[in-house]
Amino acid sequence: MTSAADELAAYAVPLSDPLCTQLPEAEFVVAPRTAEEAAGILAVASQSRLRVLVWGGGTHQGYGYDVADVDIVLVTTRMSRIIDWQPDDLTLVVEGGARLADVLTTLEARRQTPVLTEHAGNATVGGVVAAGVSGYSRLRHGPTRDRILEVVIATGDGRVVTAGGRLVKNVTGYDLPRLATGSLGALGVIISICIKLWPRPIAEATVAVDDAAAAVGSVYRPFAVVETEQAAWAYIGGTEEEIHTQASVLGGRAIEGLQWPDPLSESNVLVLRVPARLTADAVRRVGRLDGASFRASHGVGEIRIGLNVVEATSILELRVWAESVGGALVVTRRPGPALIDPWGRPPDSVELQRRVKAAFDPFGIVNPGRLPGGI
Amino acid sequence: MARAHDVPVVPRGAGTGLAGGATPEEPALVIVLTKMNQIHSVDVLGRTAWIDPGVLNLDLSAYTRSHGLHYAPDPSSQAACTIGGNVATNAGGPHCLSEGTTVAHILAVEFVTSDGEVVMLGSEAPDPIGFDLRALVVGSEGTLGVVTRILVKLTVNAPAVRTLLMAFDDVSAAAETVSSTVAAGIIPSALEMMDREQVIAIERFVHAGYPTDAGAVLLGEVTGLEDGVAAEADVIASIARASGASEVRIADTEEERAAWWLGRKSAFGAVAQAAPDYYLHDTVVPRTRLVGVMRQVYDIAREYGLKMLMVVHAGDGNLHPLVAFDARIPGALEQVEAAAHEMVRVSVEAGGSLSGEHGIGSEKRDLMSLVFSEIDLDAQARVREAFDPDRIFNPHKVLPKGSRCYDFDLAGTGADV
Repeated sequence: MTSAADELAAYAVPLSDPLCTQLPEAEFVVAPRTAEEAAGILAVASQSRLRVLVWGGGTHQGYGYDVADVDIVLVTTRMSRIIDWQPDDLTLVVEGGARLADVLTTLEARRQTPVLTEHAGNATVGGVVAAGVSGYSRLRHGPTRDRILEVVIATGDGRVVTAGGRLVKNVTGYDLPRLATGSLGALGVIISICIKLWPRPIAEATVAVDDAAAAVGSVYRPFAVVETEQAAWAYIGGTEEEIHTQASVLGGRAIEGLQWPDPLSESNVLVLRVPARLTADAVRRVGRLDGASFRASHGVGEIRIGLNVVEATSILELRVWAESVGGALVVTRRPGPALIDPWGRPPDSVELQRRVKAAFDPFGIVNPGRLPGGI
Repeated sequence: MARAHDVPVVPRGAGTGLAGGATPEEPALVIVLTKMNQIHSVDVLGRTAWIDPGVLNLDLSAYTRSHGLHYAPDPSSQAACTIGGNVATNAGGPHCLSEGTTVAHILAVEFVTSDGEVVMLGSEAPDPIGFDLRALVVGSEGTLGVVTRILVKLTVNAPAVRTLLMAFDDVSAAAETVSSTVAAGIIPSALEMMDREQVIAIERFVHAGYPTDAGAVLLGEVTGLEDGVAAEADVIASIARASGASEVRIADTEEERAAWWLGRKSAFGAVAQAAPDYYLHDTVVPRTRLVGVMRQVYDIAREYGLKMLMVVHAGDGNLHPLVAFDARIPGALEQVEAAAHEMVRVSVEAGGSLSGEHGIGSEKRDLMSLVFSEIDLDAQARVREAFDPDRIFNPHKVLPKGSRCYDFDLAGTGADV
């Protein structure tokens, strides 16, 4: 333990550092600056069987099971460089600890976007990728994982592994970039990623719609159709003429720009995921929950639900329905200990999942137990 | 059964693959999946379909046409290749430029593991919980298990399309048009380049209507709403003219458009007709490096005295040099292969990779170390081992021998690696 402490001391962050605000208690707080440093920390942790919690902006720490008995909190935000932006190739290589909001500001100079999430907040790019979060615009551009072209991971046992490539099209080797997307830190620390960018269209608009489900099919490939407890909007882009034509088909007045609904502010957030055709059905069921706010992505089948008070019986009923149609109801934000299982029924590939985890983290020390099945 | 008898298992679709992925290198149980060819259900509202792996790529799009939907990845062999095979190689095609390759269109697979267990990877609902094992299986070239049923994403047919045929004096001017188009913020649904030799071969074969006096022909397509495609086609046409295009045509009729596309998709057939044998390459480079790498590839062909034609998924930076040769001439194949390695090498040096869409198979297995370190390959091998500890699925493919050799040094810790 003493030798581990000595080695970790080199990367330690004093508790007075602003990096340490909001962090859970742990013996060590470390903040590596390079892939090699991160790998070194993880190798030490594997040797000494110290449990590591990976921490970026802290935005997605509510996903999954709590990581218990944390020995080391590994903060990623000192790895925050933009390594390579090729605007003419529409690719961006960025370190995982970079704040997404800062990256978006940089890309805006050429009107490009990584289409990750509309609410960057304090999240890091690595955190968004690790959580597998996608924005509303996935209806048009597909989920986040379809844009992750290359990943560099410091594995649980301290190897620096690169997979994929800085290329928009590539089938060389297994698709570890997509595996890393949504892995919730269970493979190791995401050091950097290459993201495929999209150009933003000349014009963008938000159109209020009465029938959200119908809006998905009534215009050609809108960015998103979002319904909340208050109203519904379609989000469209293209030339000025296209916007005009689409808005009149949708029958609503177009407001310039993409005016996304505010992020959910409730203390609990749950995400209901169902086959896209059942989105309207899901919205009706969510509407029956007391005090629920929601953001439903029509055409996608994702409904984010905000609740200040979680009433377990009705939530579990909703989960039973979701699982019966091949979906899930997962917890992504909670103020304290979990009142319900955050994942629900584990996937039937859980044994295979366990073996994949062990391929990267043989000693089970990085974000241990967070995934379904306690992996 | 295969396990009990200790026989390797090689899953195989229609056998159109170009990297040798479905051809066993030793006695093996080859599971041919072409008789599993039912389309089970189409969810028009959710835009998905459950299908068997043996369904032919083009049949699926034909089947869903009446619903205004299609299956987007469209490899040139789409009339003959199976979706199961497309899943194995993560197949591409011209229209993957805007829509992504196969992996973006496979939502779930029913999958037989090395234990003989049947599991579902992925789901009809978005973001299934746990690791995305579906993504590992797509493109794994049959090395992880056998896919027995597939949930595909369908794409809505575009209300309007514009197809442009642009002729240039040389490939550099065509490539410049490609770079400038992407840089201008336009992602066409396809952007395909053919060089003079290729254009001549195609014209002899199918009479697509390409100008045979051009140094390079660029076929571009934009899809979307009428107003939008008209505007985008205008922009691309002006970029082409500014880059020195000698001719820019927009297809007037669906017949003309179909003829142009038939030409492009007959590129390999055209070469097969003209030479006893051909070797089709598949490398990929950053789009900004396309011109330079193409020039190097021509130099290599010249150096080796090879007859080479080139067709390029230019918008993706995915090159397909085609070398026509006669394998009956002693030493000819060796020359072609040596040149192939050179072409891969210059692509990798430009920041590219071994394969854009055909896969690694046995063809490029031993080149993997050009792009991956020992540690990277070991990580890939560990993933394979997690799925298939006894290596019964498609052995000797994708990963070079000895990949699983890297033992991380945890010496002195008593760690049981």
